[in-house]
Amino acid sequence: MILAFQLAYRNLMGAGLRTWLNAAVLSFAFVIILFFNGLIDGWNQQAKLDNIEWEYGNGQLIHEDYDLFDPFSVQDGHGVLPVSEQENLVPILVRQASIYPEGRMLSISLKGIAEEQEIVGLPTHLLTNSTAEIPVIIGKRMASAANLRVNDEVLLRWRDVNGTFDAQHVTIVGIFDSNVPTIDNGQFWIPIKKLWEMTDMEGHATMFISTVDQPKEIPGWNFRSQEDLLRELTEIIEMKKASSSIMYILLLAIALLAIFDTQVLSIFRRQKEIGTYIALGMTRHQVVGLFTVEGSMYSIFAMILGCAYGVPLLIYLAATGIGIPEASQEMGVSIADRIYPVYGFALILGTIALVVISATIVSYLPARKIAKMDPVNAIKGKLQ
Amino acid sequence: MKTDIIISIENVTKKFKDGDGEFTALSNINLEFSKGEFAGFVGPSGSGKTTLLNIIGSLDSPTEGNALVMGKNIAGLSHKESALLRNKHIGFIFQVYNLLPVYTVFENVEFALLLQNYSASERKKRVMEALEWVGLQNMPDKKPSKLSGGEGQRVAIARAMVKRPEILIADEPTANLDAKNAHIILQMMKKLNEELDTTFLFSTHDEKVMEYLDRIVHLEDGKVVRDEVKNKVAAS
Ligand SMILES: Nc1ncnc2c1ncn2[C@@H]1O[C@H](COP(=O)(O)OP(=O)(O)OP(=O)(O)O)[C@@H](O)[C@H]1O
Ligand SMILES: [Mg+2]
Repeated sequence: MILAFQLAYRNLMGAGLRTWLNAAVLSFAFVIILFFNGLIDGWNQQAKLDNIEWEYGNGQLIHEDYDLFDPFSVQDGHGVLPVSEQENLVPILVRQASIYPEGRMLSISLKGIAEEQEIVGLPTHLLTNSTAEIPVIIGKRMASAANLRVNDEVLLRWRDVNGTFDAQHVTIVGIFDSNVPTIDNGQFWIPIKKLWEMTDMEGHATMFISTVDQPKEIPGWNFRSQEDLLRELTEIIEMKKASSSIMYILLLAIALLAIFDTQVLSIFRRQKEIGTYIALGMTRHQVVGLFTVEGSMYSIFAMILGCAYGVPLLIYLAATGIGIPEASQEMGVSIADRIYPVYGFALILGTIALVVISATIVSYLPARKIAKMDPVNAIKGKLQ
Repeated sequence: MKTDIIISIENVTKKFKDGDGEFTALSNINLEFSKGEFAGFVGPSGSGKTTLLNIIGSLDSPTEGNALVMGKNIAGLSHKESALLRNKHIGFIFQVYNLLPVYTVFENVEFALLLQNYSASERKKRVMEALEWVGLQNMPDKKPSKLSGGEGQRVAIARAMVKRPEILIADEPTANLDAKNAHIILQMMKKLNEELDTTFLFSTHDEKVMEYLDRIVHLEDGKVVRDEVKNKVAAS
């Protein structure tokens, strides 16, 4: 085996340019696989942190009648939790409402939140400090959708607990910049006490953000842990990963095809050499092994080559991050303006294994033919 | 003398498939070669010289009969056993040298030793010695493409002889060489034959080769027509 490596190394080095071309193509595949997966892993990590920081806290305690995916459940999905039970919990009350910016009507979620909270990144202190009658903070996406700026006033219409409409001007006291669209798109955040007043729903909440991992169980309320809440995001990102893999699988396929092609050609062209190996006392299986190792060695060279330009490049990209175009931020999944790729140990090992194993397989397939060669004809270089 | 016999061909027949029928390349050959012989097969093209050498070299096996080389029956050997036989005991020299193109002169010669487990220093010593036998000790780092025909064939001789095989098979080794180079390599081989007691088996059309041979086996249509043993005088 060591001999096969030694000989394969000599053969490949001797073949010069052809070797490096194959290795170069394969190294592109290698670096790009690492980069893309690193990018997505980086996105995943960042999105998780963002979601925890802005929305999920240490988990959420949700009223059993409230379903995030069913807007109609907002109507009745709320309840009162005695203050004595509210230890480590930040209440949020969700109501449906409309705003009328520049004469248009936009439906929004009106969310009351305990303004003294510090568990999520929402700048609720702005609500406390404001002297406005009804202070509101909104996200940058909401701001641009409704064309609102700080200190703008906009007409808000809502229903109270009995379904009676009421309307009043509210004041934008802050616009926050978050990567998490689900707390931004179509949402107005106001002090929960104000919302209770406006709707006559003193003490009601739709959900609570927990500041501890394991709050005590309360009947009528479901606790969803951080992990549970993040699961969906992880699934979306995994899907994204699978769909983007098409592209580098294609690239890898091209690289493997180049190796396969080189192998088929070289077994065809190097018959005389194969015959000579056998005459010199190698068994056919040793020769098959030699050609297979030669092929899989492309992957080793690719790795060395890939490291030469890939390591600095990938480290640079991990440090500076990749700018994400505005358009992709409308997707509804958390995504930052810059993603910083992360290259995990598992990713690197997995990629190495993928490249080495696939290169070995495509080298072995044509090399099997050697085992059936007649050495006498091979020495003469006669095609069979 | 019997104990000195290292190649023994008994009733060997070799048939090749030829379309639907068969073609008999060797028919009922009986021959023996002793250690240290400098012998050759001579005959017209297609008479079976190469076929017989390939069987002795265990690259091919007889259709009928037995070929015993170093006491081993060629037909009964596994791939592994025949590879081992070639690796340790049989050297080959081909008409077109068949040097490994990407290897240097040194690496070409070293190859057979790599297959056995010699240490690097032992390999180096032996390779340089073999290169000295053929007068190429000053160009171990050259690539085969940079060698003249005569030098190429000398590398091939060094490669075949470096492992000090009992048998050396040379299929028309001089066919691509001019007279001067042919004489050079024949003298080298004769010298090695005498010094190392290696059995040499040639196939040739070349008068120059025949001058050096101690024994000439004439083949025609796959049969031995004459087995001629000459005096040793011819070589000197
Ligand atoms: N693999 C094969 N299949 C079919 N016929 C073959 C094969 N190998 C050799 N032959 C035939 O066997 C006969 C003997 O061939 P061989 O190569 O032994 O001749 P040779 O004496 O070495 O001739 P030359 O002087 O031209 O090298 C030839 O007629 C050849 O066509
Ligand atoms: Mg021949």
